[in-house]
Amino acid sequence: MYRLGVAAVWLYRVTWGALFPTTCKYHPSCSQYAIDALRQKGLVRGSLLAGWRLLRCNPWSHGGFDPVR
Amino acid sequence: MIIFSTPIIGQLETIMRHVLDWFHGTLNLPWAWAIVATTVVVRIILVPLTVKQIHSMQNLQRYAPQMKEIQKKYKADKQKQNEELMKFYRENQINPAASCLPMLVQIPVFIALYYSLRQFAKHPPGGDLSFLHFIPSIAAHTTTHWGGYILLVIYVASQMASTLYMSATADKTQRILFMIMPLFFVFVIARFPAGLVLYWMTTNLWTVGQGLITRRLIPKTPVPELPKRSSRAAPKEQPEEPPAPAAEPERQPKQPAPPRKVRRKKRAGRR
Repeated sequence: MYRLGVAAVWLYRVTWGALFPTTCKYHPSCSQYAIDALRQKGLVRGSLLAGWRLLRCNPWSHGGFDPVR
Repeated sequence: MIIFSTPIIGQLETIMRHVLDWFHGTLNLPWAWAIVATTVVVRIILVPLTVKQIHSMQNLQRYAPQMKEIQKKYKADKQKQNEELMKFYRENQINPAASCLPMLVQIPVFIALYYSLRQFAKHPPGGDLSFLHFIPSIAAHTTTHWGGYILLVIYVASQMASTLYMSATADKTQRILFMIMPLFFVFVIARFPAGLVLYWMTTNLWTVGQGLITRRLIPKTPVPELPKRSSRAAPKEQPEEPPAPAAEPERQPKQPAPPRKVRRKKRAGRR
């Protein structure tokens, strides 16, 4: 089931992600974090974690090393 | 652009349609200018995000020599390189300029506009669908008329310019890649309705304008004391004037020794 989410991330990567190039302030990047989270935690928890990470990836946060735990 | 028709997309389309209708009906703007106005509104809402981003980017450029050093040191291992960069940011309290959220906010707007324009093509609304006399219909595919090609050229130029201002990476190859990308994407974008390219173009031009204004209005923040590893780079601190690419001033501090040799050679030659 989580593959659905991973496919969505890839869809983003080849469309929007390629058109609006920015480098993420976190490592791993938001999209990689989303894939890792989906793989490790499943579709629902993985999506929530990825959503929370995206909210944290704003101009006021400081970024840094932040893998899925 | 194959996106499944979900209720969310339907709702997004309805909201976009209301906004466009308001600009067209209440303010009497032609449809094309209603799109431009919508873009401007979206960008005004995003101003606090992007201004903060530009500040961070200016700040980041001051650390370019040290960052380049780290990049060079861990050239073979990209992962280690990223981790070290993150550590460097933390040590120096740097806020990396890039962040994903501002970019993602525009996705729903874009999708909503795409579906609204598709609807326009199926059931043309009343009123003028042309733009500045050279685009006959903003709902038609961009390449159906010669005017669309002009729009595409402006799009590519504006996309390149906005990349120059907003791409936060210090890696030169990556910057070049980002600059070339619109040339390839133009083939995909050519199949979009002209109104969508208009949105894109406007948002890019806004980015460029905002970048220019912010740079002019806000003086650069003074550099906090430089970390120890920069002992070689410190004297080269003067290249403050070139505000643009972060990658360029970095190259200079790397060869402090060779210029001396060159001078000696020159003197020898004169004698």
